[in-house]
Amino acid sequence: MTDSDLDRRLAALKEATADALPPPSADRAVEAAIAGAKRAPPPAARRRGERWLVWPLALAASIAVLSFVVRSLPPEAVVAPEKRPTATRSGGDEFMPIVPIADIEQTRDALVVPARLPRMTLAQLGLPINPARAADAIDTELLVRRDGSVLAVRFVY
Amino acid sequence: MPAELSERLSANDAALAARVACGDPAALAPLYQRHRGSVYRFALLWSGSAAAAADVTQDVFLHLLGHAEDYDAARGPLQPWLLGITRNFVHKRSGIDARYVANDEDVEEPDAPRFEGGPEAAMDTQRDLARLRAAIAALPPHFRDVLVLVELAERSYAEAAAICGCELNTVRSRLFRARALIARWLSASSGETGTARG
Repeated sequence: MTDSDLDRRLAALKEATADALPPPSADRAVEAAIAGAKRAPPPAARRRGERWLVWPLALAASIAVLSFVVRSLPPEAVVAPEKRPTATRSGGDEFMPIVPIADIEQTRDALVVPARLPRMTLAQLGLPINPARAADAIDTELLVRRDGSVLAVRFVY
Repeated sequence: MPAELSERLSANDAALAARVACGDPAALAPLYQRHRGSVYRFALLWSGSAAAAADVTQDVFLHLLGHAEDYDAARGPLQPWLLGITRNFVHKRSGIDARYVANDEDVEEPDAPRFEGGPEAAMDTQRDLARLRAAIAALPPHFRDVLVLVELAERSYAEAAAICGCELNTVRSRLFRARALIARWLSASSGETGTARG
């Protein structure tokens, strides 16, 4: 059997299973689990409660620095949301909202600011971050208002 | 802001996972709809059993419901992380410790699968697929991981390495050996001489 023969058979198997989905019983089980799960405070919130002073200070410091950077930008640095450079950066994820979508929609002067932030700051913003790596920094792009408030964040891998 | 962008923001995997981690179980529903197919297909192709794949799919999303905070969005997209969880569950069902990394050089020659029918049926497409499934199911687990991920689930070598917790060259080596074994078994079942990559 040649490589191409094997490739052909593997492609046939891939095609035969391309539309395979779990049975309705699995769908119902997951739906039941969702319905049965209770809203609970996240572990991150409980951890924050234990170190209530450290996290707000870190967040406040980050926002203060960010606000200073944003206010010091020249007007031409302002880009319209639809022209944000998300499509031109490779290896990243989509922007994740930090505030309600309605607030973002009402913003007309959003900026995209690249920033390298400690993960604990992102955790403070409510993003899923591994607590074991909280001290590590990560490259991000922040969507911010002119007043320095963060609207959304995107990871740059 | 364009409506399309708003939809993308609200439907982002990491944002939904964050909502689940923050105690909003309803956010799991769109994640399940989006990723159930890839999770189920990986488990199906790996295990060869629709029932096992259905059970594993449930297990994966129930795990996500209870452990969404373990997902670190800064380290990569959600789907490879879910496939890593899926791999752990299919290994667990097979009695294999997914964390155990076999020394590939020490892997014994696995027994060839038993194929139904004779060489005269080799051109039959369904029979071919059944034989290929049987051959995949007979592969050593760590070879099966990379074959299913790279050849059937269309994951890159780098993603497969991350999911399996091994080096890129290990993925290449395991894939090479998996393909060679399958080619040999399928050739033997149809009276051919195996010539695929090794």
